[in-house]
Amino acid sequence: MNDHPASPNPHEFTNLDRRSFLKTGLGGALFLGTVSVTAGLSGCATQPAGRLSAVGTRMDASYQFRFLTRDDITLFEALLPAIIGPGLPEQPQARNIAIAGTIERIDAGIHKFGPANQKELRRLFDLLNFGLTRITVARVWPSWPNVTTAEADAFLERWRTSGIGLFNNGYIALTKISNVAFYGYRDFWHLSGYPGPPQHAVDALPQFKNA
Amino acid sequence: MSLTDRIAQGLESGWKVTDGASLTDNLTAEADVVVIGTGAGGGTTAEILAKSGLSVILVEEGRLYYQKDFKMDELTSYANLYQEGMSRVTRDGAIAILQGRCVGGSTTVNWTSSFRTPEPTLNYWAEHFGLEALRPDAMAPWFEGREERHSMAPWQMDPNVNNDILRQGCEKLGYSWHIIPRNVKGCWNLGYCGVGCPTNAKQGALLTTIPGALDNNAHLFHSLRADRLVMNQDRIDHLQATAFASDGITPTGIQVTLKARHFVVAASAIGSPGLLLRSDIPDPYGRLGKRSFIHPVNASVAQMPQRVDPFYGAPQSIYSDEFNFRNGVDGPVGYKLEVPPLHPAMSSGVIPGHGEAQLNNMAGLPHMQSVIALLRDGFHPESPGGTVSLRDDGSPVLDYPVTDYLWSGLRNAFHTMAEIQFAAGAEKVRLMHLDSDWYSSLAEAKAAINKLPMEPHRVRLFTAHQMGGCGMGSNPQNSVVNGFGEHHQVGNLSIHDASVFPTSIGANPQLSVYALAARNSARLAQRLG
Repeated sequence: MNDHPASPNPHEFTNLDRRSFLKTGLGGALFLGTVSVTAGLSGCATQPAGRLSAVGTRMDASYQFRFLTRDDITLFEALLPAIIGPGLPEQPQARNIAIAGTIERIDAGIHKFGPANQKELRRLFDLLNFGLTRITVARVWPSWPNVTTAEADAFLERWRTSGIGLFNNGYIALTKISNVAFYGYRDFWHLSGYPGPPQHAVDALPQFKNA
Repeated sequence: MSLTDRIAQGLESGWKVTDGASLTDNLTAEADVVVIGTGAGGGTTAEILAKSGLSVILVEEGRLYYQKDFKMDELTSYANLYQEGMSRVTRDGAIAILQGRCVGGSTTVNWTSSFRTPEPTLNYWAEHFGLEALRPDAMAPWFEGREERHSMAPWQMDPNVNNDILRQGCEKLGYSWHIIPRNVKGCWNLGYCGVGCPTNAKQGALLTTIPGALDNNAHLFHSLRADRLVMNQDRIDHLQATAFASDGITPTGIQVTLKARHFVVAASAIGSPGLLLRSDIPDPYGRLGKRSFIHPVNASVAQMPQRVDPFYGAPQSIYSDEFNFRNGVDGPVGYKLEVPPLHPAMSSGVIPGHGEAQLNNMAGLPHMQSVIALLRDGFHPESPGGTVSLRDDGSPVLDYPVTDYLWSGLRNAFHTMAEIQFAAGAEKVRLMHLDSDWYSSLAEAKAAINKLPMEPHRVRLFTAHQMGGCGMGSNPQNSVVNGFGEHHQVGNLSIHDASVFPTSIGANPQLSVYALAARNSARLAQRLG
């Protein structure tokens, strides 16, 4: 019983020997594959979210999502306050715009990742979105819209410090795509003290003339 | 835009360039030679063959980007110019792979470091792989020729602070250091080599050999993926290729058939074995995709008291080979020390972390300095390299197990990098490792490095140098091609890229690829002429 990964009882899961669970990449991959199928069957949103209405989602209604599902968007809305932390603006509207824009850039980035890496990310996101595995594997009890920043941070910290490579890998995947999409965007360059491309070059080069 | 850009000018003048995305019907074309890949190897090959009067078709899966597209922006450049939108990793996800995917291949986005193949490497190949004809003396004229073609010379300007700190640290500790030769002409010293040179200073394939080939009637197809070489008895009859839409990644379903007398594969150390595996090219000794090397790279960052502005200035201008061959060619693993440029997207993706800690890491960017160590893999029995194989969808993937031998080299490299950074005056140093903190003294850093678990995923590893997988050698039982890049089993197939290297190089590989491709293309032109 104690070595069953799908055990719903939180106390039992705590006793689980985590090193024996998902120890190998192969086992992990197979397990994540199963989650994807299960998630699909159980009604998780599995289609790219497409164009969302601005009112309901705070997103730029002109952006067409090509990879992230509505569930994934909710996931990142919960995680970004922990991943970016105090880098996000405090003013509510600016904060919402920063989060929404970062999620759009995450989607645009993943679109260019190609099918193989998209498949890996789909497994990761499904694992996090699917209630049973969100609780047993990520040990996040509330559903994502109800997760506090502290809880999201604790989840990231667990995966960062875990002795299981698969969780470390999940941590890197989530933080890397979020950090790049956030800190790499011109609106947030000031946070890293990056002044942008040298102005004398921008002024002199033809490719900036028509912009 | 005025027509001062070499590519814009060429397109205007009627170069034969076909964008796969623009094709609406299936197509068949024929030439003397089809060259697959437009990077260091493919560009060189295409120019030399085209100049010798042969008709040449060039095939590139990435798109044609040039000056108008190079706007010093990380997000668009990583998405468009790199393999898998900069998300390529080894099979287990533990090593990030930086590799170009555009016309010019990695030479369009590399940091311009231009080294000859180290002599100990060439001699090792002669002794272990029967490649006597590639001894340093025999290769020297080919290196000279390519140094001239690509305007390679030791960097004349002062190094930027980022690189100068490596110099200062080495100087203090009595370690050797040297100035890096770069392939640039009229360089503005901006610091944006990795996102496509905005000033056309970089003399990579995009602005040298590709235009040279196109001026000589070569036909370039870009946004076209080489799917399969189709054999007829013991020869390759044609290449089957698929076009991508203008996003560069969505297949349009349009099929292109390319026929030729001879085929040159130059699709990189991951792409070339991948293509040959997909094509079921004869491989009687199971060598395809084996012995793949990557110069595994680990890194350390330092917080300096002075401004570093690591995003500006020639990205690489100083290196140290103090530890590269110090234990002999095949002793404990050696490593070359260099410096990477640090822009915000790259840094935030490479430095592991989140939340307030990551914000603090990033806030220090103007004072941040980094050293990288490139391990010279493949020269020792405990460094047999990785394996390229195919995923279910036919795409190639590299499996690269890090052996204890390499882990011990990576730990040594962490020690060296921290030592150099503190010697150069670092206030604190952090290793690129999930468990690393910032350390404010060398003693503290050394104690931590001795304890840090050296495990996949926890140590952040990178590579920008993919080599091997179609290794050359005189004996078909342990190699794929001979010393001229000619396939051992298939008469009209050559391989002209970094996949033929039987070990890693021990230096940034672009000049090694240029030189070997030039030598082997000259021979091929004679054979076919």
